[in-house]
Amino acid sequence: MPNENTDAEAKLKKLGERVRDGLAKRHPVPEQSLEAVRQTVREEWQREQTAKRAKRIAPDVTKTRDREPPEPER
Amino acid sequence: MDIIKAVKTYRLTPALDQRLRLAEEIFHEIKSPLHGFIVGRLKLPSADDVFQEAVKAVTKDLTQFKGDSDKEFWAWCYGIARNKVNDHLRKQASDRLQPMEPDELLQLAETSAQSSPLSPEDRMDLQHALKMLTAAKPECSDFLWQHFVLGLDYSELAEERNISYDNVRMKIGRCLDTAQALMA
Repeated sequence: MPNENTDAEAKLKKLGERVRDGLAKRHPVPEQSLEAVRQTVREEWQREQTAKRAKRIAPDVTKTRDREPPEPER
Repeated sequence: MDIIKAVKTYRLTPALDQRLRLAEEIFHEIKSPLHGFIVGRLKLPSADDVFQEAVKAVTKDLTQFKGDSDKEFWAWCYGIARNKVNDHLRKQASDRLQPMEPDELLQLAETSAQSSPLSPEDRMDLQHALKMLTAAKPECSDFLWQHFVLGLDYSELAEERNISYDNVRMKIGRCLDTAQALMA
């Protein structure tokens, strides 16, 4: 005797695939999303560059501080 | 397209123009599956907004992604999309996609048939599936709708309903039994 549950499951899965495919066809991906992706890449890249610059400058500041004479005691 | 290769190259390259090109390639690869995933869970136009948030989050964290395979990358993308959907539903529960009427479901199946025609056997199977959904008790119909039609897996259903994974698995099994028996 065939497994009836598997048969029911297969039919429901087939319906699900068709419905999800129909939904995707009826509602295409919004075009402006690609521009949002490009903008995010630019922002992240800019953020990385700023962080790198800050990292390069930070050790110099420490060195400069090391070279400064100590504050006179009062 | 070798998606994981594009992701790995993106992680390593410091050049903006190359990152833009790779991000576009990755976007074209993930857009339809992720959009379908979200449109199957939320009403429009919220689904489009959440999709945009999800692809932005994927892009923003591409350099942080630690995986090494296509499978890990897809799991990571779907994880982000799922979190965005859940965040949205916590704020706006009424945006959840509600079960549709059989006629509406058939129309969607017909839309799908434009690119991949339905055989007479397919049509009979779809009718049978719709009858099972209609005949099942509300709780079962809801489980079957979410699992089979929307494609939510056991873990997602368990989290959403605050019950265990095994409980979901058993409930869906029982609902299938009952739906099948009603059709006999």
